[in-house]
Order: sequence, then structure tokens, then C-alpha cells
Amino acid sequence: MLSLRSVTKRYGALTALDGVSLDIARGEFFGLLGPNGAGKSTLMSLAAGLRPPDAGVLTLDGVAVTPSDPATRTALGLVPQSLALYDELSALQNLQVFGRLYGLHGGVLRERIDEALAAVGLTDRRRDQVKTYSGGMKRRLNLVAALLHRPKLLLCDEPTVGIDPQSRNAIFDYLEARNRAGLTIIYSTHYMEEATRLCSRIAIIDHGRIHALGTLDELLTRLPFEEEIGFPAIPATAALAAELGAQGTLTTLDGRHRFEPRADFPLSAFYARTEAHGLAPRLFTAARPTLEAVFLHLTGRNLRE
Amino acid sequence: MAVIPTLVRKDIANFLRNRAAVSLTFVVPIVLIYIFGWVFGLNQKDTGPTGIRLAVVNASPNPAAQKLVDALRAEKAFRVVTTFDNPDRTTRPLTEADLRPLIRDGRFRFAVVIPADVVRTDDIGLHLQILSDPRNDIEAQTVNGLLQKAIFSNVPELLGQSLQARAKQFLGDGRFNQFNRGIANSVATAFGGDPAQIQRTIESGSLGLDRITRPAKPADPTLRRLDNAPAAAPTPGTPAAAKPVPATAADFFSRLVKIDQEQVVGKNVQSPAATRLVGGWAIMFLLFAVSGGAAAFFDEENAGVFQRILSAPVSRAQLLWSRFLYGVLLGLVQLLTMFLAGHLMYGIDVFGHLGNLIAVSVFAAAACSSFGMLIAALAPNATAASGLSTLLVMVMSATGGAWFPMSFMPEFMQTIGKFTLVYWSMEGFQQVLWAERSFVELLPILGILAGITLAVMTVAIWRLNKKSIFA
Ligand SMILES: Nc1ncnc2c1ncn2[C@@H]1O[C@H](COP(=O)(O)OP(=O)(O)O)[C@@H](O)[C@H]1O
Ligand SMILES: [Mg+2]
Repeated sequence: MLSLRSVTKRYGALTALDGVSLDIARGEFFGLLGPNGAGKSTLMSLAAGLRPPDAGVLTLDGVAVTPSDPATRTALGLVPQSLALYDELSALQNLQVFGRLYGLHGGVLRERIDEALAAVGLTDRRRDQVKTYSGGMKRRLNLVAALLHRPKLLLCDEPTVGIDPQSRNAIFDYLEARNRAGLTIIYSTHYMEEATRLCSRIAIIDHGRIHALGTLDELLTRLPFEEEIGFPAIPATAALAAELGAQGTLTTLDGRHRFEPRADFPLSAFYARTEAHGLAPRLFTAARPTLEAVFLHLTGRNLRE
Repeated sequence: MAVIPTLVRKDIANFLRNRAAVSLTFVVPIVLIYIFGWVFGLNQKDTGPTGIRLAVVNASPNPAAQKLVDALRAEKAFRVVTTFDNPDRTTRPLTEADLRPLIRDGRFRFAVVIPADVVRTDDIGLHLQILSDPRNDIEAQTVNGLLQKAIFSNVPELLGQSLQARAKQFLGDGRFNQFNRGIANSVATAFGGDPAQIQRTIESGSLGLDRITRPAKPADPTLRRLDNAPAAAPTPGTPAAAKPVPATAADFFSRLVKIDQEQVVGKNVQSPAATRLVGGWAIMFLLFAVSGGAAAFFDEENAGVFQRILSAPVSRAQLLWSRFLYGVLLGLVQLLTMFLAGHLMYGIDVFGHLGNLIAVSVFAAAACSSFGMLIAALAPNATAASGLSTLLVMVMSATGGAWFPMSFMPEFMQTIGKFTLVYWSMEGFQQVLWAERSFVELLPILGILAGITLAVMTVAIWRLNKKSIFA
């Protein structure tokens, strides 16, 4: 459906996107996972036809997406990362404006607006000014405003920033339902939990490049270890921690060590060492590695730095 | 697709929901126009002293003298008293002899005596006696001025008679008669009419001066034109003789009688001062409104909204021009509202010139709107825009004549002023409301305003396209 071929975008000296190639198929829930500044929003804005690429091409169903051809944009909807709402206006007025820009009017517009408001639980507050809404309500409105015209492709740029868990779940449920109903979604986030829960395929992006691309399982196979092991960073474990550095990757966060063993360092060998140091097994947790580990492994950086 | 109307409607709805913006655009300037009008004495209907007791003794049989008394009675500043209250509750007319004791007793502070020989042959002017107890200097001056105004604006015949009497004495009876007949004959020849009647009119002192209802600054051609306006219907019997006279007479009498009053009294104040006051504040606040609004509109904070709009089938040009158009509409409504307020407060004749006023307002609003776009384009954020626009708007308003007439300023500032849209807008308003120009005569000013708009919009759009929200 959407395809990028060697797309490059620069802001002055800074290369925000560096030769990105991607193919997103109809019906996919596609994740774009990367830290702040990775180039996610830039990719979204190019896909939405807001700015032209400096090199490469983007096509939507075979038609080039460019700012100079507004008509191609009716097939897509953009949920911008920053709230794209008129604070002084009510939810109803906001949706009326955005619906009309897509040529909706009269009964159809009214129907779509009612439907959208109901879907995200804003019907009762529809006549209140948006500035009186909570962060979560604004995010929900921000999301449905992009869907009034029933696009085929939805570009969701970090739609859950600064949101309460309920609103987050409401958004997730809504997006999953729409995806099941056939909507293709590109979802950018720096939360690996979101990508894990929602996305059928995930691209790991950093410094304007795609570092890996695949389903969650495919991405996890990129890791040289099966499980990652956590234990407290306390004096009793200090000697063990010092030894493990040579056997894999050891990171420390919030008073806990996380150890990702090298492929040739089996778990049996690990537990033999803990015994040698007289450490009880209950100090250790073993878990299936997460996307966080994949990201760290691929980029040498933490997702949330 | 109705993209631009949708965007404009959205901007209007957004504006109306913003109480601070609405009051800054509409309420604040009206309040300021009212306050400054009051400071400058434009709303004379309710300023000035009232009810000053004035004793009047009229000893002259001249009917014009009675007219003067009536005029003084009509002056709201005075409460005219012409009778003396006897102890037995009966009254009798005041006499000159009563006045001094009464004033000494503090019953009056001012008295006017019109003696039997009010029109004298040995002097130009009127022989009036004014008695006063000038306890309060300012009050005394005010009363003096008001008396002179009453004399001058209500009974010009007296002065005409005085002139005639003086001429008669100077030329001698026979020659004077001849002189008047000569004038009457030439007037009749030139303009038609009965020479005998014209002569009688001249000798009655009615040199057409009764048409001068408003003292004028002789140098102001606009005022002179008003003096001749058909509103003062010609007296029958002076068909044409009067026509050339008023201006000259006005020149003469404005020297004879010191009346410091530039403007028309009463309701129909088509004053250039009121027009400047209203137009000036209106333009200034419109500039603040459109530049503040546009700057906030193009602020980084709204980046999301821009992305949403431009990801819809909307072109950047549509977005920019819709914003411009919104500014024009807001400006038109604001300017007309201000002039309507000016109509209610100062009697500015809005409805008599509505078409031309709308034309000038549209072009002025367009220029203001383009200025707002330029501020938004040049300033990196809304705060910087507010600083920049405050500076520019103040300078443009001051040099462009929004605050006081340009002639008050040094020449170089007047030159600067002529490059401002404020100057040309003000000029447009004055031309419509004061000089009553026709639409065709307005075209040069409209052309200049359109030129300013075009030039400013070109720069603004060029710079806006470089903004990071579009990059
Ligand atoms: N309009 C812009 N002008 C200049 N630099 C920009 C602009 N937008 C983004 N950048 C830079 O490009 C890089 C990628 O930004 P962005 O696409 O917003 O990343 P993300 O959305 O993943 O956080 C960042 O370094 C950012 O600072
Ligand atoms: Mg981003």
C-alpha cells in the first residue's frame, strides 16, 4: 500500500531520514519503534505529503505522495504527534472543521461525527471547549479527527504521549478494532510495550535508519540469547556482576542488573557461577527478552535515553 | 471544495470564543475612543458649565437686541434672569441700577447690559457692558467666551448694523446711501434681483452674515465650504448678494470676535478630529488584533494543526490566503463597528457615506491583515511577534497620524508617516467622512492601500514558506 524507496530527508546539515526503504501492506498494523529524534515524525510527515523528500520516492498505491498534489491525500489520515486541535472550539466544532476540509457535509458529516465521538466516549462533552478536556480526552479526539473521512491508511504519530492508562487502553482498543475492520495503520512510538501489544510488524528506527524490520518473534531471533536475567545490584552480587561482564552484556538500571548472556554462555554455566558465589536462586529472574533488548543490541543505545 | 470558507469560518469561530481577543478588538477601542473623545472635548453635548446665573438688562429697542437675549437664554450654560424680585413677592424688570448691588451681594456673578445705543456710530463692534465678579478666573473666561459666542453666532445683524453705522459716519449720509445703492445695483446686475430690496437688506445690516452659523478658521477650505452649505437656506430678498460675502465676513469677524472654537456645535459633528480619533484607534487596535492573531496562528504551538490541515486535501496557498481573508473580514467588521460607535458618540455621518466607507474599510483591513501576516512571518514565535508588532504599530500609528494630526510632527516624521498603511487608511477615512469624496476620487488612495497589501503579502508569503512549521 505505502512504499518508500531510499527516502532521504535533511534539515540543513542534519539527516533526519537516511535512505529508508519500506513496504507496508494493506491491512497491516505497522510499528515504527525508536527513541526521540530517530526520525519517526519526519517519516510520517513525508508519508502524509506534508513535505517532499530530498531523495527517493514515496508512493501510495502506486501514486507518488507529494505536497503539490493535495488530492492524493484523501486516502490517508494523519494523527500528528502534537495535539492538532483548536482549544477554543468544542469537540463538535473541531470535527466539523476537519470533516469539511475533506469535503464532508450535511447528514454524512453529522453521522460520522456522532460515530467518532461515541467511539472514544466524548459524546457527553462534545459541546465543551477542548481546552477544558483532560490530556487523555484531547488525545482521543486528536485520534478520531483523522478518521472522519474514512482513510485507507492511518498515520499515528505517538498518539499516547502524556496520557492516562484508561485513555491509552481506549485508544488501543479503538485502533485494534479499526485495524480488524481493514484499516492499515502505521504507528510510531518509543514505548516498546505499545509496539509489542499492537503491531504485527515492527521497524526499529534510529538516526534516520531502519535497523531491523519484522514481526516481534523475528526481531527477537536477532538476539544471541534466549533469556535475560535480572538480579539486584547489591554488595553481595558485586563480585558476580564483575565476572559476568566478559560473558555477555550487563546493564544496570534502577538498582537492578540485567544480564544478556552471549550465545556460547549457557544458562547452566550461569547458575553454576551463582552457586559458587553462594547466591540464592530466588535473587534471580529469568525472562523472555523484550524489544528493549533488541533495540539495545542493535543500536547500543537504550530506547529511553 | 469549500476549503477557504471552512477555514475562515473556523478562524471566526475561534476568535469569537476568545474573549480576550474579542474585547481587545471591539470593546477596548470603543472605550478608548470614548475616553479620548471626552478628553479632547468631542462630545460637547455633555461637557462645559451649566446653569451659571446671568443677569440681563436689555435697554435697547433694537429687535436684534431681543434676539441676543433669546440666544443667551438658549445657551445652556446660562440661567438668564431679567426680573427683579420685590420684597412683596411681585416682580419687575431688572434695571442697570440693580445690578451692582446684586453682584456685590453675591446674587449674581455675571451680568450683561445691552444699552439703548447697542449699535454705535463711533466704533466698530457692539457696545455691550459686562459686569462680573471674577471670583474664578477660568469661569470668567468661559463666560466671556460663551457671551461672545452667543453674540457672534446668533445675532450677526447687530455686527452688520454696527459696520453700516460706522460706514455711514465715515462716508457721510449721502455718499453712504449712494455707496449702498451702488453695491445693490452691481449685485442686481450680476446676480439678478430687485436693487431697492437688496439695498434695504444691506442697510438692515444683514450682510448675509446670518448664514455664518459656525465660526471658521479662515484657512480651512473645508470649513468654508460648509459655511456655504445649502443647510443655511438663503433669506428671501437676498437672492445672490449674500453669496460671496460669508467667507470674507467670517474672516473679518473671526478677527473681531475671539472665539476659540474650531468645531461645529451640536449633533452633526462631522469633525475631522472625531474621524481621526475613531479611525486612528480602530486601525491601531485592528493592527494589534491581526498581528497578534496571525502570530499565534503560525506559532510552533500550532504545528500539529498545520500538519492536520495540510495532510487534508488543502494547499498551503489556501491556508495562507484563508488566514489573510479572515483578517480582512475581521478588520471590515471592526472598522465599521468603530465608526458606528463614532456615529453614536460623535455624530460621524456613517450612513451618508456607507458605500465609500465600506470600500475604504475593506482596503484598509486588507492592508492591516497583510501586516499581521508579515509580523507572523518575521517573528520566530508569538512572544517575539507581540514585541515586534507593538513597536511597529506604535510607530506607524504615531507617524501615520492616528494619534494627532501629522502637521504636529517634525517634517521627517511626516515623511516616514506617508509610508505607513495607517496614514493611507486615515487619509481614506478623512476623504470619505470629512471631505465627502466620491468613489472615483477615492481610487488613488484605494490603489495605494492595495499596493501596500500586495507588496507586504508578497514578502509575508515568501517568509512564511520558510517557517519551520512548513519546512
Ligand atoms: N523542522 C525541523 N527542522 C530542523 N530539524 C528538525 C525538524 N524536525 C525534526 N528535526 C530534527 O530531525 C531529527 C528527527 O526528528 P523527528 O522526525 O521529529 O524524530 P522523532 O519523531 O523520531 O522524535 C531530530 O534530530 C530533529 O531534531
Ligand atoms: Mg516525533
